Amino acid sequence: MTRTKVNLAYIANDSERKSTFKRRKKGLMKKAEELSILCAVDTCAIIFSPYDPEPDVWPSPLEVQRVIAKLRNMSPLEQNRRMMDQKDFIRQQLTRLSEQMAKQQREIRHKEMTNVMFECLKGKGFEYLNMSDLNDLNNLLSQNIRAIERRIKLLEKRHNGGD
Amino acid sequence: MAKKPSMGRQKIKIAKIEIKNHLQVTFSKRRSGLFKKASELCTLCGVEISIIVFSPAGKVFSFGHPTVDSIVDQFLSRNPPPNSTMRHLIDAHRKASVQDLNSQLTQVLNELEAGKKRGETLDHMRKLASQRKYWWEKPIDELGLNELEQLMDSIEALKKNVTNQTDKLSVEGNVNLSPFFSANGMGMVDSVEIKLYQMNASSTTHVQNTGYGHGFF
Repeated sequence: MTRTKVNLAYIANDSERKSTFKRRKKGLMKKAEELSILCAVDTCAIIFSPYDPEPDVWPSPLEVQRVIAKLRNMSPLEQNRRMMDQKDFIRQQLTRLSEQMAKQQREIRHKEMTNVMFECLKGKGFEYLNMSDLNDLNNLLSQNIRAIERRIKLLEKRHNGGD
Repeated sequence: MAKKPSMGRQKIKIAKIEIKNHLQVTFSKRRSGLFKKASELCTLCGVEISIIVFSPAGKVFSFGHPTVDSIVDQFLSRNPPPNSTMRHLIDAHRKASVQDLNSQLTQVLNELEAGKKRGETLDHMRKLASQRKYWWEKPIDELGLNELEQLMDSIEALKKNVTNQTDKLSVEGNVNLSPFFSANGMGMVDSVEIKLYQMNASSTTHVQNTGYGHGFF
């Protein structure tokens, strides 16, 4: 849709909130249906809103009842094992995202250090680097040396192995 | 050393996925995405939602705001939940926690976005550099045998000097704790002393040949 960033908070403006609700509800139902078809799994969605005394459901009230019955037929342990409220879900998201972030930080560090390496090879000094930076630089240099050695070995093998 | 690119946005047919592995992966991602949309809708519009999904293996995942059970009971009984002070307290407490978690979420997402931009900037810098006349900045796979050996010598010489520096610092106990990567995020210092390599230039024979210490200009 609009690629503007949405602030994750209650929309104070009544008409904006209502139109957002309509739009996102439609999208949510569509996504539920797609999941159900793509993966051939039982799915249902129930939405209670101030705009309608009756809940909005997918696929149909009868189907929802069937899925609920299937849920409630399971042992309480199984039911609760993967049951989440907003808090649980957002915490799960946060865990996943912080892992992503740690990985991203490592990649950025690697890229920045590579730049430093090339600057040093051009002749720039490195007195301004602290111990941690120097160690990372050293590791990167070792990494590159090994990679070059591997490549040299490969080229030599090709050269010798060829006619 | 390049990362294998992911499939990216693909338009797919809405029909049962035939390949089991794809189905599993799709289920996992889409289930999570569905819950995310539901959570956002609850926060943005103040509505109550429950989603129940059975996995291909028969396990049941459910999301509910305020809780799955309260929504399911409300649906089955067709009666609104009892209005009690206790309920109000619990709801208010829950709302505050969720608000706090959502701010954390937004913060992390912003940081990830910033990190992504930073990564792209660095990639761009690297790409520009490798296109210019500095052959040694090209990816290793594009270099010939001679060039590789030259490059390796330069890097080994640099490594010796870096190791000297680290030894020197740890002996002196004079560890500079100020961060290298300054606030502007560029990570490069403009006016740099190059006495170190000049000092070592005479002691390493390779330095003159490869140009490390004199630049490749």
